[in-house]
Parts: sequence; C-alpha cells; structure tokens
Amino acid sequence: MDSADTDFAFPALVAARLLLAFAPLPEALKYDQQLSSPLTSYSRLREGIYLFEHGVDPYSGGAFRHSPLLLSLFSTVLPLTRYTSPIIWTAADATAAWALLQIWRLRTGAKKTSRDSQIAALYLLNPYLFLPSLALSTSSLENMLCLLALMFACRGRASASLFSLASLLQLSLPSILLLAPVLLLNITRPVSRLALPRPLDASLTRTIPLLAEFFGYTALLSVASTLVCGNPLWVQKTWGASLTLPDLTPNPGLWWYFFTEMFDHFRPFFLMVFSVHLLIYVAPLCIKFQHDFLYAAFLLVGVLAVFKPYPTLSDPGLFLSMFAIFPEIYPYLRHPIVTALIHLHASLLLPLFNSLWLRQGTGNANFFYASTLVFGMGNGAALMDAIWAGLRIAIGELSEGYEVAQE
Amino acid sequence: MDRVRSGLRGLRQRFRGQGNPTVTKIRRQRALRERLWKGLPFIRLLLFTVGYIWLLVIPSPRFGQGTYIDENALQPGQVNTYWDWDDVHNADRILADLEQLRDRNASSDEIARYAVSQFEGYGIPARTQRYSFDTVTETIKGTNAYAVLQSPRASGSEAIVISASWLSRTGEGDGTLNLRGVATLLALANYLKEYSLWAKDLVFVMSDGYLDGMQAWVTTYHGEPQPNLKAESLSLQSGVIWTALNIDYPGHSFSHVGLFFDGLNGRLPNQDLLNSVSLISRYTAGIPVLVYDHIDPREDHSQPSLLPSWLPDLLKQNSDVQEFASRARNIYRSMNYQARGAASGVHGLFHQFRIDAITLFAVPAAGPHGFHALGRALESSLRTCNNLLERLHASFFFYLLVGPGTFMKIGSYLPSAVLIGTAMLFTGLGEWIRAGWADALSAPIDGGDDDKSEKAHAEQRREGPMWRRRPRPVLEPVGIMVLTHALGVVLFYAVSSSWFAASKISGPVLYLLFSAIPLVVIRAVPSVPPSHASIPSVLKAFNLCFASAVVSITSVLNFSLAATLAVFLALPLSFASTSPSSSPSSRLAKYTAYTALALGWLVLFPGEVQKAVWNWEVLRVWFAPFVCVVYVPLVLQAGLVCLLPP
Repeated sequence: MDSADTDFAFPALVAARLLLAFAPLPEALKYDQQLSSPLTSYSRLREGIYLFEHGVDPYSGGAFRHSPLLLSLFSTVLPLTRYTSPIIWTAADATAAWALLQIWRLRTGAKKTSRDSQIAALYLLNPYLFLPSLALSTSSLENMLCLLALMFACRGRASASLFSLASLLQLSLPSILLLAPVLLLNITRPVSRLALPRPLDASLTRTIPLLAEFFGYTALLSVASTLVCGNPLWVQKTWGASLTLPDLTPNPGLWWYFFTEMFDHFRPFFLMVFSVHLLIYVAPLCIKFQHDFLYAAFLLVGVLAVFKPYPTLSDPGLFLSMFAIFPEIYPYLRHPIVTALIHLHASLLLPLFNSLWLRQGTGNANFFYASTLVFGMGNGAALMDAIWAGLRIAIGELSEGYEVAQE
Repeated sequence: MDRVRSGLRGLRQRFRGQGNPTVTKIRRQRALRERLWKGLPFIRLLLFTVGYIWLLVIPSPRFGQGTYIDENALQPGQVNTYWDWDDVHNADRILADLEQLRDRNASSDEIARYAVSQFEGYGIPARTQRYSFDTVTETIKGTNAYAVLQSPRASGSEAIVISASWLSRTGEGDGTLNLRGVATLLALANYLKEYSLWAKDLVFVMSDGYLDGMQAWVTTYHGEPQPNLKAESLSLQSGVIWTALNIDYPGHSFSHVGLFFDGLNGRLPNQDLLNSVSLISRYTAGIPVLVYDHIDPREDHSQPSLLPSWLPDLLKQNSDVQEFASRARNIYRSMNYQARGAASGVHGLFHQFRIDAITLFAVPAAGPHGFHALGRALESSLRTCNNLLERLHASFFFYLLVGPGTFMKIGSYLPSAVLIGTAMLFTGLGEWIRAGWADALSAPIDGGDDDKSEKAHAEQRREGPMWRRRPRPVLEPVGIMVLTHALGVVLFYAVSSSWFAASKISGPVLYLLFSAIPLVVIRAVPSVPPSHASIPSVLKAFNLCFASAVVSITSVLNFSLAATLAVFLALPLSFASTSPSSSPSSRLAKYTAYTALALGWLVLFPGEVQKAVWNWEVLRVWFAPFVCVVYVPLVLQAGLVCLLPP
C-alpha cells in the first residue's frame, strides 16, 4: 500500500468502526462475560452513575467497581447516552490506534511507512478489541491509556506519559506492572535494539525524579477520587477487588474458577500467591531487555493478558495487536501457526461453552473453564514465543551447520 | 558402592550421551523432528483410518450401555394409575366430535373453539391464539387452543406442557391428522383436573398445523418475537416450563410407543426424561417401546429385513449382525435429523427454551393398545415429571440412543469425528511446514553448460536435497479465505430469497454463477516472487487447519453435523493438490469437481434446499446458513488450491 493511502485508510477505518458501533446489535453483547468483567461492565457503570446522581454512595453496594474518575467524568463532562457512548468508545479506540501508529513511527524513526495502515487496521479490526468496545467495556479506555502512556514515553514526554500511567493505575491496579518499563523507556530511546543488545547506558538515578512525579500524580488522582466520593471506600471496592477477588462472575481469565473451587481457609494465601506472581516478571524482563524497554513493556502487557485478575478479551487483544509494531521478530517466531490455531479454537470455544453452560443449560462450569484454559494456553504460547524471538533475533541468521540452543 | 556409581554414570551417559550435553540435546531434537516429519504420513493415515473405522463401528453391539435413571427425584413408575374405561369412553366421545369436525372440513378457528369449549366445560380456563408466518413462498395461518390448569398445591412458578398437534408427525407432517392424539389430550385434561396432587401447572396445548402452530405458541409464551411471525399474545400465562410431553396418535390402535426426541439445531432433551417414559410405558402401561417407529424385524417377522438380500444366510442369521443393522438404522435416522438440525416432532421446538420434551408416538397397528394404555402411560409420566424439585440438569444431554434400552455416552462416539479433525490438522500443519522450505538444488543453477558444476550438482543431489527456508505469504491466502466466506453470505441471501423459491432454473443458475465468480476473482490475486512459497500451498494449509477447527468445535455442539462434515470434507480437502506439472485444463477439471461437491446440492436436491430454507425462516434452524457460509466456502477454497497456478 502506498503511503498516500494511509491518509485515507485511517479515517476510513474509524468511520467503519463508527458505523459498526451504531449498527443494531443485540443488547446481550453488553452482558457478555467475555467482553466485560465486573470491573469494566457498562451496565454496572451506568448503575453507579445513576446511584451517584441520586445521592447514594455507589461504593456502598457490591455492584459498582469502577474508578471514581470514570464516575465523575461520565456524570459531568461526558454524559453516557445511546448516542454519545458509541462515539466515546470509538474515539477511544481511534486514539489508541493512533497512539500505536505513533509508537511504530517513533520506533522506525520514519514519518510515514508502508505498514502504517496495516498497523491501524490490526488494532481497529482486531475482533478481540472491537467486540469489547462494541459492548462498551471500559477495558477499551484502559487500553487507550496504556498505549498513550507508552507513546508519550517513546516521545520522551515524561510528564504526559506518567500522568497517563497514573490514570491507568486508577482504572486498573494490575497495570502497575508497566511502571518500571515506562519509567525506563522515558530515559532511553524506543528504537529497536533487539538485534544489537547492549547494557543500559543511561543512568538509573534519572528515574528517581520520574518515580516521584508518578507517585505525585497517583496521590493527586487518589485525593481527587476521595473528594469525588466523599470517603475512601472506593479504594477497597476498586483496587481491593483486584487483590481480593470478591466477584466471581466468570471471565476468560484464569482466576475465577480457581477461587470458586477453593476452600475458604486457603483463599488469602492463594490470593497473595496469584497477585505476587504477577510482580515476579517485572525485574527479569526489564533486565533481559534493558536494550529495548518498549519490548519489555510489550511482554508485560502479554503477562497481564494471561494472568490478570479480571481480564476481558481486550487484554489479550492489546497484546496481539502490539505484535504489529515488532515486525523484526517475525522470522524468529518458533510456532506462530500453532499459536494462531490455539487462538482460533479458543475464540470459537469460549462463546460456545459459555452458552452451553449458561444459556442452553446442557453443559456446566467445567466446560467454560476448559475453554478459558485453552485460551490461556494460546496467550501463554504467544508470550513465550515473543520472549524467545526477542532474544533469538540477537544471534541473527545462522550459517549452515549451526544451531541455537537454550541452556 | 563404586559399582553403583559407575552404573549410574553409565545410565547417565546413555541418556545424555557423551561430551557436550547441549550438542546431545540438539542432536536429539533434530532426530525427533526428523522422525516426526518422516512419521507424519503414517500418523495422518493412522488418525484417518481410526477415525473412519470408529465412525463405522459406532453401531457395533460391543459398544453402548444400558439406560438408567440418574435423577433420584423422578421415581418413575412408582404410582398407581387411575385412568380408567370411563375416561376412555370420554376420549371416544371427543373423537367422534373431532371426526365430525374433520368430515365437514371445519376451519382452524372452529376446531380451536371446539377445544376451548371442551376445556371450559371441564372448568379449565382456555383461550385460542391466532398466528401467521410469512415465508418467501407462502403465508401460513392457523389457530392454537391452550388451557392452563393451575396447580392446586403450589404457586404455579413451574409448569408442564402436554401438547398434541392437529397434524401428526407421520411422514414429517404429510397431512395425516392426529385426531386420537387431540382426543387423548382433551380427555386427559378432564381427568387430571380431578386430582389435587399437581405441584406444577399443567398447560394443555392443541397446536395447529404440524410444527408452525407450536413454534408460534412457544415463542410467544417466552416473549421472543420473530420478525416474520404475527401471533396474538397469550392472555393466560403460567410459570417456567420444565418438561413437555407431546402426544401423537394417528392410527386407530397401536402396537408400540415410539420415542421421538431430536430437537431443532441438534439439541436433545435430558436422557432421564426418555428413560423414565420408556420405563413407565413398558412396566406401568405394558406397551413395548421403540426408538422412533422402528419395529425390529427380529420381533415382528412381517417387517422387511434390514439386511441386504445378497448377504449370505450365515451372516443374516448372526445375532450380532442383526443387532448392528438395527442400531445402525436408529443411529442413521437420528444423525439425519441432528445433522440437518431438524426436529423429529413437535417436541423439538421446546428445546430451544431449555425445556426437556419428547413425543410419544403411537405406532399405528391393528392392535392391541388404545386410549387406555396410552392414558395410563401419560398419567404416570406426568406424575414423574411432577416429582421434580429442580430442572433435569445432570450432564445427560449428549448421547446416541441406539436402542430402546441402550445408549452411547459422548466419550464413546465423539472421538471418531475429533480424530478425523486432528488428522486434517496434521495434514494442514504438514503443508505449512512444506511450504516453508524449498529444495535449493531443485532450482536450475546458472551456467548449466558447465560440465563440472553439473557433476557437483548431481553429486550433491545424491546426498539428498538441500533444504533452505523460504518466506510464506500469509495475507493473500487469508484474504482469499475471507472473500470466499463473504461469497458464502451472498449465496445464503440468494438461496433464501423469494426469487430462488419462485424460479425453476434458479438452482442451476446459482450453481454456475457461484462457481464462476471465484474464477474471475482469482485473476486479481497478486503474484508472489518465485523465491517465496506459492499461495495455493499456504492456502491449502490454512484451509485444512480451519476446516479441522470447524469439525472439532462443531462436534461438541452437534455431533452428527461434525461427523457429516468430517466425511464430506476430510479427504477432498486433504487431496487438493498443488502439483506444478498439471496443465491448466486439468486444473480446471479438478476445480469443477470441487464446485460440484460444494454447490451440487443446488441442482441435485432442490426439495431439501427448500425445506432447509423453510426451517430457517420459520424455526430458526441454522443448517442452511451454516452450509452456505461455512461448508461451501471451505470446499471452494480447496478447489482454488487446485486451480491457482503454483
């Protein structure tokens, strides 16, 4: 595709998405458990706003678990109606796609490339991303903030990047994983160094003021949230939910079934294990990929997609769409077709088993759990392959008779 | 001690090899890869053979197990029945009225009003419901009658439906009237009213037509509007329907009760309901039970033999062979309904709302049974359904009923289709790997005149091919696949249009059109550089992998459809060839063969197509769209694999 096309391709894609957003879709989409979790569901958001506007503290019940920031935003500046909501969500996706495109351009150092429209299309037409967006799941907004934080970090605009990340943290606690790579990305450059790894040359002390700035923003937003609600109950209801898993509504992740089956006296221990397990990946990935923190951030997005407490399809969707900006690793992927096939099977099995269990009543929870395991395997395979390819690329093409082994 | 240590070392050396462990590891991996690659054809052959043989031996008497009751609350056949000759007399009286209505060609409205007056005469509130369906060919009109007997013992939050349609299921609704079924329904209403033990509401429905009346009633009851259906709303409501029994009694007497259970889109009722009714019929009412209306020739010698006449007598007399034939007949019938997503009776319309329903079909015969036996069987069955404290829920929804007392669990038949799907998957993965490698030596080398280099070349050739990786095009094959599926959507709209139904030549026209469109479109396929893998080879890999996913996933939803797909797709798709030597005309011939497989039904089975479209329009059966959007494009892709220049 010529670069001249890109100027038209992006608006055309956004227009197509807007049409789709206003298409007469079944209402059931908004309640689909794969597209929105209790933390991102649109109907719960609406309920919270209704309670809030009628003077009831939405956090006094168990249904509303969105951030007070969303509450204040949607109850004042951007009211949610039948017409505004699809526009807001499409705009969020368009911004996210634009941010991804900017990251790609910054990474290649080119103003325009032939892959521009491909990248935008891979984000805007990824079914894992546009279906949650059609269901108006707030996970689309989280993805936008995540990509904005990365984009500003690539640009070297530290404050904007840290503010986006702090806002993302307000919406979803597990995103704290991205703090380290984003800080480090701010002090390095986003160009691809995967093929030429070298030790970090920037001084780590430069991150300390950035870290302080990030905590400043977080404190500011938290105070703002508390002021909006009038009490700090929201902390327990929003951030606490990610740590204590109070709502076991099924979702495509790996946590819910585990904790429905668990005896209560083991619960705190395993909650701790599951939460800490997420943190384990940060340091090794940042150390191993110290030459390319954008790649480390990408891998951590993949970790979140697999192991997050309340995932929706948006999370793996973001990870898969981000593959688009690392074309240099494609030749080194070990089993792309196997990953693709697992994803094909999982994406057909997930809705099927969900409806066999909850609509037709001929199956049971184990059916859906099995399909989430397949899905987890697919995401895990993609993540492992991305780590392998990111390391393997440094060795380059092999001459005849040589082989790479992992020790 | 030393000996132990040296022995351990020896063991370790055997497993790890000597020298650098990494080298050993790489060697082992290479050997494994090589063996896998060399063994791939055998693995495929094995999977295909085992899968197909498994499909063939499903009716074997060695498989299957006896039916049993899983839900303890059902307690089938534990009650005394009080249905007696008075009630039979009442049924006979109603039958005389109905026959009179039939003889003077009474309208649907009149018949429904008669039923309502009867119900009201017994003191049960009853109403009529008018409805009309618009299909591309006709407008179907009719009137249902229904009555709700409120439960004397509970709040009426649950209900049981007892129904009879005006037309019997004989010949899949060929117009035979179900007069005695309706008479049984009305007489039962009168009889059941006398008892105060009902814990569920009893809803009596006399539906008009064969399937259309009940579809109108049951969708209206559940408030699921259908755009082409106009139906009066139901002024009498009841609770959640848990079970439904449908009565079909077309003859003047019957010898057996046949159980019909297949529902729309391949759904089955919970097996406990079938087993309970079957037990009750046999032991409370003394009526022998059949699967469908299949009377076993071993039992009744007047029935035609199931075995072909050319079979040697030795085999014909063999009890295993006879049992195989009888099971095969049941399975074939069941798979025929299930694969097409068709309902085998009025009960099939209930499954979509999570209601367990079956039809009791009184198989017409000269005797010995009549209203008396059927009434007792129904009374006891209703008492059993009345016992339920929760919906039938155990995972008893996936089965093949091979005989009245024998069934197969999902694990004993599902692997056949999944194995064939896996074989397709391996074939596809093999194609993908093959597409990624080129023999560097098979390409002609520059300066071929040079004698020396030719010799060196030949020498290397003897050592085996020299493999080199090559890039594989991905976007182009995926684009072709998306386009063919989009074409399938267009085909579906064409098939379900009024033009298709009205015109006689529409089948052949569509056939020619849709086999020609890909011919035109592939001219736009961009060519890839010769150093890349060819598009058809990658397309074949993707096509097989996708088809395998479709087969495996469908098998959980509708085994019969998956098995049919496996039979129709597996071998044709695997044998789609990309050999470079074939001439354009032979490629075109192959493509034509594939279009015949993909679209031949348009020309060969216009009746089936019409039925499938009717089922989609009126009953929302997704068989027609599935064939157009999934099956046809998959076969067309295989045809394109043959057609595209390698």
